[in-house]
Amino acid sequence: MVDFIKRNGNDLFKNRFFNFLFRHPGFVFAVRVFVALLFFYAIFMGFYDTSKNNIFTTAVFWGIFWPFFIVTTLPIFGRIFCGICPHGFLGKYITRIGLKKKMPTWLQNRFIGIMLLFLGWWGVYYMFPGLYRTPLGTALLFTVMTLVAFVFYYLYKDMSYCKYICPIGTALRGFGKLSFTWFGSYNTACSTCKTFDCAKSCPYGLSPFNFNKKASMNDCTLCMECTHACEALHFKWLKPGHAIYQNFKPLKAEVWVYILILAAIPISMAFHHGLGRSNIGESMIWAKTARWFESFIDFGALDATGLFAFLYAAIFTITAAVAGMWIASKILKKDFNTVFYTLGYAFAPLFILASMAHAWEYFFTGNGARIVEGLAWGVGMHVDVEPLAKRGDTWLGVFHLFRWVAVGWAFYILYRRFAYIDAPKGRKIAAYPFAALLILFFIGVNVYRGYVIDTYGRKARHGHRGGHAAMMHQKAAEVPKMVATERDTLWLDTRLPSAGRHRHGANMRMGMGMRRNRNGVPERKVYLLGGRFPRGKCVTNADGVFYTVDVQNRYHKADPKRRGCVSVRFKMPKSGYYKVYYVQERPNLVRVAKYEFKRFDHSSDEVYDRQKMAAKTIAPVPFDVLRLRPEDETFYSRLHTGDRVRFKVLLHGKPLAGATVSLTTQFGWSRRARTDKEGVATFTLIKDYNPEWGRFNKRFRERFLVTARYRDGDTRFIATQTGEYMPARSEYLSYAWGLVIALMLLIVFGGGVWLYRLRVHKPFKEVVIDE
Amino acid sequence: MNRLLEKIQRADIRKFRFWIQLFFFVLFVYGGYLAVDLGREMPIFSCGYDHEAGGMCYFMPLQHQLARPWDRLFSMASLGVLTAFLTFLAWFVIFNKAWCGYACPLGTIQDWMTALRKRLRIPYSSYSRESFTKLKKIKYIFLAIVVIFPLLLGAGLLGGEWRGAFCKMCPGRLITPMFVGDFSQWTIDFSNKTAIFLTAFGIAFTVLFFVGSFVKKRFFCFFCPMSAMHYIFSPFALLRLKKEGDKCTKCGDCYRVCDMQIWDIADDVTSKNILRDDCILCLKCVAACPEEDALHLDIVNMALFRSTKGGFAKRMGFEEGDNR
Repeated sequence: MVDFIKRNGNDLFKNRFFNFLFRHPGFVFAVRVFVALLFFYAIFMGFYDTSKNNIFTTAVFWGIFWPFFIVTTLPIFGRIFCGICPHGFLGKYITRIGLKKKMPTWLQNRFIGIMLLFLGWWGVYYMFPGLYRTPLGTALLFTVMTLVAFVFYYLYKDMSYCKYICPIGTALRGFGKLSFTWFGSYNTACSTCKTFDCAKSCPYGLSPFNFNKKASMNDCTLCMECTHACEALHFKWLKPGHAIYQNFKPLKAEVWVYILILAAIPISMAFHHGLGRSNIGESMIWAKTARWFESFIDFGALDATGLFAFLYAAIFTITAAVAGMWIASKILKKDFNTVFYTLGYAFAPLFILASMAHAWEYFFTGNGARIVEGLAWGVGMHVDVEPLAKRGDTWLGVFHLFRWVAVGWAFYILYRRFAYIDAPKGRKIAAYPFAALLILFFIGVNVYRGYVIDTYGRKARHGHRGGHAAMMHQKAAEVPKMVATERDTLWLDTRLPSAGRHRHGANMRMGMGMRRNRNGVPERKVYLLGGRFPRGKCVTNADGVFYTVDVQNRYHKADPKRRGCVSVRFKMPKSGYYKVYYVQERPNLVRVAKYEFKRFDHSSDEVYDRQKMAAKTIAPVPFDVLRLRPEDETFYSRLHTGDRVRFKVLLHGKPLAGATVSLTTQFGWSRRARTDKEGVATFTLIKDYNPEWGRFNKRFRERFLVTARYRDGDTRFIATQTGEYMPARSEYLSYAWGLVIALMLLIVFGGGVWLYRLRVHKPFKEVVIDE
Repeated sequence: MNRLLEKIQRADIRKFRFWIQLFFFVLFVYGGYLAVDLGREMPIFSCGYDHEAGGMCYFMPLQHQLARPWDRLFSMASLGVLTAFLTFLAWFVIFNKAWCGYACPLGTIQDWMTALRKRLRIPYSSYSRESFTKLKKIKYIFLAIVVIFPLLLGAGLLGGEWRGAFCKMCPGRLITPMFVGDFSQWTIDFSNKTAIFLTAFGIAFTVLFFVGSFVKKRFFCFFCPMSAMHYIFSPFALLRLKKEGDKCTKCGDCYRVCDMQIWDIADDVTSKNILRDDCILCLKCVAACPEEDALHLDIVNMALFRSTKGGFAKRMGFEEGDNR
């Protein structure tokens, strides 16, 4: 026994906090009691209230125990859950008074536990979805497991239940190898030890002093009993996966647990819940197989699709693992078992990281709220909590990243484990992709699921209210509409007016005009509006003609959407100016509304062709107002406050002198001008966007409307065009302050260096040594 | 071939470096006038705010790409991020950190500041060993700002005013455009609080850049996130700085000529790869080394430039065999 040991820096027991957390006998005991109470209380409640009202039992088992106590702690601290597991905690006392028999050999089979998990839990989960999700189902499951556990603890010694029968025992042992922690002993002290207190105190009959030597923690459950018997034990914080890179004796059950859990959880979920819930879910092989069997077997309450998704997932996963490793073993000219069980450890991260990420994402999207509500219900309170995040919030994407971290890590582990195979380098390189076949299959399934859901979309869920469509519908109802008469001004714009107050200064950049369909051609939608600019109403009667014009100035008659607000949608495949015209010709009134948009795809090979980009009219438009391009325009140019804009008015394609042109800004400033001989009217854009400083947006797009009017005999001509401009740089950038700060800092820093040098400078002194 | 290598060994590295630096400075700062565009993945601070730049610093497009909304970033759009990154890597692996010592316009400007200081006969400053080890971590903080802030922006956790946060603070944004007569970056942006803070930092760092590089050689490189980025990928580089520890006598000549004060160059006799994160691969150490083959610059295991007794003697102004 060692009373004192100098601990390494990475030993968690050196840190007072972690020492208390993992090792303090009183604290750990309290935690175990608390967890056990929670466990049994949840089971009790499951029987007490079997109705849907009981949100407590499921919240405890499926909201806390599985995602947090197991999945999250495993890749971080290892199997510390075993240390506080209610079964093990009480089992220790039961074993002490029990018969202490040796477990019969046929029961000493880890595959019993693994199969209980794989078939008894996951198989049933897919066959009878929702069975374990009910409070009664959950309570029954855990009651049975508890009784079985206690019987085994009573009969057999050394906590054999945990090793062989516990459904998650082997799984935790396997996945715990990926954690940051390592439990072992200080060899300096152990080499002289003759008492072996650690081994004596171990309830599982293990030898902790051997852990480092064998590079394996064996079945250690981190109960920390031995650390109270001897000081020479450490719980180190190392690089993740440290344990899995070591040369230990492989355990077949561990490799199989990686493969089977991968099949049962991520792959089956991707099949059944991912692909199965896409719009082409019915054409997936498991759905078809299920339909085929259904034609002559009555499955009753059993979910045949789920069953076959699970079966296919198992078959594909096992085939990928075994076939890949078999080919690899042939290439390496090695025994299959050696290759399979040495390299199979590489599959470990695939499940646990993906599952941990899913657990966290789910915590934010609903589980967190469910836990709080469930626990509150358990103590007789009613609370209503909002989830922390909505499904589809972009930042949740970080959790999807974990899957790819897992893949990268799996490749790396495979590379590291190849070191323990004695074969020439060339053969190893050739065998690597085959040994990695299951990892590649995992990537393939994930990519394919993403592709299917992106391409075909998700099936609509029943009873799903709200969402985008409903919001749009609501919005459409709010939009003020009008039937335009001859007296109303008409214009085209991308934004529908709203009934509410005008949002002054708010950023409405994208508005509703631009539709960004993924990887597709950008589209725009413009509405015909009327009334008083900028607060127009959407026009429901448009008897004129719509034209869309592309970058080559080719025009097409457009077919507008006429139901409700009249709108035109157009595609913008290239960079350049796109236009939409609305032309209404009556005997004594010609009205033209125009919308112009410069699209630039930001690719470097686009050349600004002055000829192509110039403002042009099209033949069917009798009266047009063109915004002339500034001399120095590029694709990046925008209009800014203070810029001069020139408009040219054309009547039947010819410049028109003497037409009245007026420009009205979004905030109501207006100015009138007459066209000169060349048909050009010039305006300077004024600054009338003056919000409070805190709300100022330097990218604010202020709308303006240009209206050209002309009367020729009895016929009135009216043409409108909308546009936008932004605050000029000088409105918010200050040279003066920049220079003042620069000069001040120059003096401060320069002076600082000078003063510092003055202070530390020691003038040369002659040292005279008096002999 | 051997005679050519022999000639290289005896070359006057300082003169050679001066002209190379001038060439790259013109290329990267004025390249636009010469119709040169090497793309937007340059591993040096050749700022994109200089509209005539002959190639753009990779950090601007990197921040731009990483700031995409996450659902887009983690879609096929990540291919664009990847190709840009691979292009950056392809450029980087050719020269390794010699990009810093020979091509970076900001580095060159700092060397000119040092030359000016020498002319004025003002002594230089250096860090104590303690502050050196503390301060060298700052560049990784900047690198985190380059990478993490855009990601937070894409996640919607930071507002749009944080777009290109590092560029707003980078002295390169203020300095390189000045050389084409564009002083428009020397302003404080008052449009919102974040912008005021970031642009003020930009000005502060620029002033620090000038004051610092005047009294301390290569002052800014010590804090440069690009240098940190280089170091992460330097294991893939073709050009390597290597040291034969058994030939080293720990005379300290190399440490004394090192602009970056890298202690390991003289002290570490165990590592073969002697490139450290602060290194700018200026090769002054190789030139100053009096031991045959103790330091050498390799390109794919072929020694391109190595320390020789003869070269040392020639550079020091005495010929071989002349025992003074």
